[in-house]
Amino acid sequence: MLDPTSVQRHDVSNYQRLGIQGSMSAQPTDNAQWEQVLTFIAVDRDKHAYSQLFSYFAPRLKAFGLKMFGNEQQAMEMVQDTMLNVWQKARLFDASRGCASTWIFTIARNVRFDMLRKKQSRKDELSADDLFFDGDYPEQEGTDSNEWDLWLMAEKVAPHFAKLPAAQRDVMEKVYLEEKSHQEVSEELSIPLGTVKSRIRLALDRLREAIDDPRS
Amino acid sequence: MIHAVKHHPALELLEQYIEASLAPELSLAIAAHLDLCPHCQRIKMDLEAEAGTALASLPEAQTADTDWQQMLDFITAQPEIAAKMEKRQPFALQIQNSEILLPASLKPLLQNKLKWFNLGGISTAKLAGEDQHNVSLLYIRKDSEVPQHTHLGLEITLVLKGKIYDESGCYGEGDLLINTPDHTHTPRTMSEDCLCLSVLTAPLKFKKGLTRLLNPLQHLFY
Repeated sequence: MLDPTSVQRHDVSNYQRLGIQGSMSAQPTDNAQWEQVLTFIAVDRDKHAYSQLFSYFAPRLKAFGLKMFGNEQQAMEMVQDTMLNVWQKARLFDASRGCASTWIFTIARNVRFDMLRKKQSRKDELSADDLFFDGDYPEQEGTDSNEWDLWLMAEKVAPHFAKLPAAQRDVMEKVYLEEKSHQEVSEELSIPLGTVKSRIRLALDRLREAIDDPRS
Repeated sequence: MIHAVKHHPALELLEQYIEASLAPELSLAIAAHLDLCPHCQRIKMDLEAEAGTALASLPEAQTADTDWQQMLDFITAQPEIAAKMEKRQPFALQIQNSEILLPASLKPLLQNKLKWFNLGGISTAKLAGEDQHNVSLLYIRKDSEVPQHTHLGLEITLVLKGKIYDESGCYGEGDLLINTPDHTHTPRTMSEDCLCLSVLTAPLKFKKGLTRLLNPLQHLFY
């Protein structure tokens, strides 16, 4: 049950009032709130919070599973294993490392990998946990100097701009053509600031690759 | 371990990697590269964030409410698992009389004693692989040449220690060489020994004179 005296829990109540309960009307990228929900699950084993998360993600995981496996039974097996991991290992979720949806995607991916491995009855020397490491690598320094190089090559870049995935192109246009700050773009598109930054990085990498590619 | 890694997997390969749609042996080479390459670690996280957003934006697939409820009840009846996030640490291994620091991804494959097969300046030890996919360590002594060859499939080589040179350049620790059936190349070492991870998706075909004789041996060789 929800405890109205807790400030954080109060937020979840707001959350319910907004009607975001995993129904079709839910906002798919409202990650800040799913991250809070995951925290309640981790700290309090809060079944109510979990059922909200479940009703949002389970049907979408099923859609993902159907796409990857092409059959209902394996899709549902993947959903159950994934959501079970979310429930049992919620403490492993670390909001500073990424969104709730990212974490859930990586779990589903690993579950799928291990299911395929098992089906092929391969020796389990290669497991998803080893291949798709999800913890901390040693610290790294940020380098944004690459953005400068790209500016200097604007003419070469332009033809490749159109080929970027739409979500990345939107962000790039707002930042580089409309000269908006990352924060402004985040607000305008209702996406987390981290997503704006990661889309820019991915787009820059894609453009750099396109320019380097001798075939283009 | 900070190196200036210069040769990275293409974005497309990383995309397939994070979706787990690559052959596991190829994923292993990418995972080991990631251990050595902060640049690609960041891209991996970005790509996973994009995939997560895509997952959260999928339309719901239908299932009877009672089935969902049953699954939900089953899950919430299960106890918590006290899992701990581990740090990815390189580990040291004695290889050809010197201690070499290796990426953590390779650890599960290096639990048993390595069986080296020696040929000229080159030694190989098979780590894993069945059928079409083969994972091995390749130890190339200084001033040695790997016979010129093409591949029937994809060949991924990750430099773990030392340097290797081929027609297209020089590769150091963490660098990834990817060769397709279109490439013919002659990798060689110069003044230092070199240890590589090699992943082959299909058997190699050697091209030059006597080394053709090596072909029947290649299941041992790579």
